[in-house]
Amino acid sequence: MKMEQRLRSIYNMNFKKIFPLSLITFISACSQTPFVLEKRVFPFDSYAYIKLFEGDNSNLMDLANIFNRFDELSDNYLQRTITNVFSINQSNDEVQINKDLYDLLKISYDVKNEGVSNYNILCGSLSKKWKESLNNGQILDENIVNDEINKINNSDILFKDNYVVQRLGEAEIDLGGIVKGYVLDMAQNYLKEHNLTSYLIDAGMSSILLGEKKPNDGYFNVDLTEVGLKDNYIKMKNCFVSTSGVYRQGKTINGITYSHIVNPVTGSVINENDAVIVISDKGYFGDAMSTSLMMNTVEEIKQIEIDYSIKTLVIKDKKIIYQNKEIEVFKF
Amino acid sequence: MDKKKLRNDIILIASLLLVAIVSLVFVFVFRTKDNLVAKVYLQNTIVETIDLSTKQDSDYYVDGLKGKVHIKTHDGGVAIVESNCPHQDCVNIGYVYETNRPIICAYNAVYVVIEGSNNDADVRVG
Repeated sequence: MKMEQRLRSIYNMNFKKIFPLSLITFISACSQTPFVLEKRVFPFDSYAYIKLFEGDNSNLMDLANIFNRFDELSDNYLQRTITNVFSINQSNDEVQINKDLYDLLKISYDVKNEGVSNYNILCGSLSKKWKESLNNGQILDENIVNDEINKINNSDILFKDNYVVQRLGEAEIDLGGIVKGYVLDMAQNYLKEHNLTSYLIDAGMSSILLGEKKPNDGYFNVDLTEVGLKDNYIKMKNCFVSTSGVYRQGKTINGITYSHIVNPVTGSVINENDAVIVISDKGYFGDAMSTSLMMNTVEEIKQIEIDYSIKTLVIKDKKIIYQNKEIEVFKF
Repeated sequence: MDKKKLRNDIILIASLLLVAIVSLVFVFVFRTKDNLVAKVYLQNTIVETIDLSTKQDSDYYVDGLKGKVHIKTHDGGVAIVESNCPHQDCVNIGYVYETNRPIICAYNAVYVVIEGSNNDADVRVG
């Protein structure tokens, strides 16, 4: 009886006051959307989508500014307010550039020494000619291709003191296949300096930086529909996801698909694979490697995976022809 | 008197629980996945926000950097149907119905993207 009386007493005193309040709090919590900051910017004739699950608006603006800064520096179509790739491509004179561009150029130039054998930043002129030709529904004349390959083989870039560079020969620099990944490396450094771990930065679908998602298990669902695998996805976190593929930018002429990815050795834009996804811990490397691997066989890719600690997914004819055993593909 | 009080308390608690359950159902079921909007950007500024949930056909015209861009919605999707850009890549994409798959007219610095959620994807590769 005493226990019953005690319980009754507690109930009468507290429960009727606390219960409605608890209920309201519970309902509000269930309906709340998680904290998120988002911003879109449009560099590199593409876009960048920055999503932070922590931090503040100043972090968002700082990250957007990183993209905008490198958009200016890497532009090889237009002169901008600052000496950029377009400026360097206009002559064979020594050009003094800023440190950011110097470092970007150096790392892009040297990446071929890291096993990225089918990537060359001096393909700019050839890429432009292929793009224009395919936009007109035509295949680029073989003589022009050979001429451009000749230019590439007889061109070089010299890196000198005080951030001076000199382009030798007639081939043009194009950083399109690496700059987004490089900028994501800059973004990752910034996020680490500010102790931010929960984020997603999407640079035009081809270069993505993932932190840890909040809430849930930290994994992001990465949709593979645009690389030919409709309603399929992979779960990733704390990595760079770099993609090259023909499905979005390729042109089909007489039943053959021509991509925007140029083989710097042969000048061809018919690639071995339809899409390659590279999971890596370095943005610039993943970017350049995903481009390069479009021209490698599966056996070659398997060896490169081992040599350079990356994971890949290779797609051809909208089917997976190779999948690293640590990558699991799910269906929505 | 005690019995009546207890009965009233039970009624009160049961009512509150019913309200809670109905609210939760409302939040989870009717928080539809199709709350999609198309955002139109000119450079980095949003110039138009289009509600796609009504699935109505409509036309929008944006003054891009170098000319007018004609945007249409149809059956919950959005497309750039006319632009004065030389390569017409943006027009050739056609209607987009998926989120985070932007249509980009770089020539005019006009970008159209559907935001919201129509599946559980966080991001797309391509």
